[in-house]
Amino acid sequence: MATSATTTNHATAGRIQTAGPRRKARLHGRWHTPYVFLLPALVLLAVFFIWPAVTAVQLAFFDYHVVSPPTWVGLDNFKRLLGDPRFFTALKNSGLFMVGMVPLLVGLPLLLALLVNLPLRAIKVFRLLYYLPVVTSMVVVAIAWNYVFHQRGVLNWALTSVGLFDKPVQFLLDTGWALPALVLVEVWKSAGYYMMIYLAGLQSIPTSLYEAARVDGASSWQRLSHITIPLLRPYLAVVVVLATMDSVQVFTSVFVMTQGGPQDHTMTLGYYIYDKAFREFDVGYANAIGLVLWAILIVFSLVSYRITRGKVTVP
Amino acid sequence: MSRNTKILFYLLMSAISVVFVGPFLILLSTAVKPISQPIFSFPPQLVPLPPVLDWFIEAWTQISFPRYLWNSVLLELLTVPAYLVISALAAYPLARMRFRGRQVVFGLIVSTMFLPGEVMLVPRFLIVSQLGMVDTFAGVVLPGLMSAFGVFLLRQAFEQLPRELFEAARVDGCNQWQTFWRVALPQVAPTMATLAIFAFINVWNNFIWPLVVLKTDSNYPLALGLAYLAGIFGDDQRSLAAGTVMALAPVLVFFIAMQRHFIEGMKGSVKG
Repeated sequence: MATSATTTNHATAGRIQTAGPRRKARLHGRWHTPYVFLLPALVLLAVFFIWPAVTAVQLAFFDYHVVSPPTWVGLDNFKRLLGDPRFFTALKNSGLFMVGMVPLLVGLPLLLALLVNLPLRAIKVFRLLYYLPVVTSMVVVAIAWNYVFHQRGVLNWALTSVGLFDKPVQFLLDTGWALPALVLVEVWKSAGYYMMIYLAGLQSIPTSLYEAARVDGASSWQRLSHITIPLLRPYLAVVVVLATMDSVQVFTSVFVMTQGGPQDHTMTLGYYIYDKAFREFDVGYANAIGLVLWAILIVFSLVSYRITRGKVTVP
Repeated sequence: MSRNTKILFYLLMSAISVVFVGPFLILLSTAVKPISQPIFSFPPQLVPLPPVLDWFIEAWTQISFPRYLWNSVLLELLTVPAYLVISALAAYPLARMRFRGRQVVFGLIVSTMFLPGEVMLVPRFLIVSQLGMVDTFAGVVLPGLMSAFGVFLLRQAFEQLPRELFEAARVDGCNQWQTFWRVALPQVAPTMATLAIFAFINVWNNFIWPLVVLKTDSNYPLALGLAYLAGIFGDDQRSLAAGTVMALAPVLVFFIAMQRHFIEGMKGSVKG
C-alpha cells in the first residue's frame, strides 16, 4: 500500500508530477485515511444492516415470542407456512398487487412523460402537479383518498351519475373493491416518480436525432417508434424492475387504509409480517415469512441486475 | 407545433391534473367548510360557502399539533446534515482513493439495496431494543443515516470531478481531509442539495419506522400524529382535514421551492 509521509513532499515535486499521466485513485495521505472516512458508514452498515440481516435469518429457525428466550425449531416455521392459509392469501394478494400495478406503472407514466416533455411554456407546472403525490406522506394520501372513496364521496357520485354503478360502493370495505382501490392509490401516488425516470431518459436523447429524422421526412409516430422508444429501453427496464419490486412490497398503504381487511382481502406479505411480529409477537414465524419475501425480491433483483447490467441506483 | 395543438395539449394535461390534484382539493375544501355545509353529498359541494378557518384552530389546539410539528423538525435537524456528511465521507474514498478492501466495502453497500424495509423491520427493531433505543429519537434516526443511494450518488459526483482539481490541491499542500472538505465537497454542492431534498422528504413522510420505535405519543412526528389524530377526531372530519393540510403545507412549500433539483436528481440517479 502506497504511503506518502507528508504532503509537503508532493508540494515540492508537484510541478513535475502533474506533467505525467497519473491514476486518479492513487492513495495520497496515510494508509488508514480511507478507512477513517468510511468509519461512520461502516459502523452504521454493520449495526443496522448486517446485524439485523443475520438476526433475521437466524430467528426464522427459532420459536421466539419475545417474552421467553428463543428456542431452536429448525424448519418448523417453514413447515407451518405450508399449512397456513393466511400466508397463501398474503402471497396471492401480493401477486395481485403486482398484476395490477406493474402494467399501469409502466404504461401511464410513459404517456405522462411524453406529455411533460413537450416544448410548452407552462410545462414545469404540470410536472410539478403530477409529482405532488410522490412527495406526500402515505398518511396524508390515505386521509385524502378516504374522502374520495367515501360511500357518499366524489367517486361514487361520479360512477353512479354516469351509470357505471347502480348504487354506491364502500370501496375500502368491499371484499371485491378494496384491493383494486389500493392499487389505484398506489399507482396514483407513484406515477409521477416513474414519469420523472422516463423524463430523465427522454431528455438524454440528443435532439439532433429528431432533427435528422425530421429532415428525412419521418412522421411524429415514426420518430416515437424508431427513436424514442428504442433509446428509452434501458429506462423502460428500470421502470419494470422498480415497479415490480414496489408492488411486491406494498405495505404502508395497506397499513393506513385497510389494515389488511376486509377479511384479509388486502393483506400483503409485508403486512402479514408486521401483523405476526408486532400484533401476535410471533417473531420467529414473522422472520420466516420475511425470508420468503426476501427470496422473492432477490429473484427479481437478480433479474433486474441482468436486464440493466447493475447500473441502476434510484431512491 | 400549431397554436391549436398547443391548446389541445394544455387541455389534456389540465384534465390529467384534476386526477392528481383532486384529492388534495377535496381535503382542502373539507378543511375550510362551515358546519352548515355537508362534507359528503350527491352531487358533491366542493366549494365551501363561506370558507372558515375554525378547524385549523381546532386541530392546532385540540391535539398536541405544535408538539408533533416540533418533533418532525427535530428529526429533520438530526437526520439530514448527518446523513449528508456520512454519505459524502463514505463516497469520497470510494471515488478517489485506492485502498485494500475497496471492492468489499462497495459490495457491502450495494448489498443493502437488497434488504427491503419490510424484511428488516422486525430484526432492526430487535437490534434497536437491544441497544436500549426504543422510544428514543436515536432509534428513529440512526438506522436511516446511511443509504446506498446517497453513497452512490455522491460517489458518482466525486468521480466526475476533474483530476486536475485534486492535483492542484495537492500542489497547494492540502492533505486528504482538506482536499475533501475545502476542494471536493464544495464542487458537489448541487448533488448534496438534491440528496438533502430527498432526505428531507423521506424524514418528513416516514411512517412505519417511527411508529415501531416510538411508544410515547408525545414523541410522535407529524405523520404519526396525523394517524393518531384520525383516531381521536373520528367524526370531526373537518378538523382532521385541517390538521392534514397543515402537515402537508411545509413539505409542499419546500418541494415547490426546490422542484428544479428533483429532475436533476433523477437524471443523476438513473443511469440506463
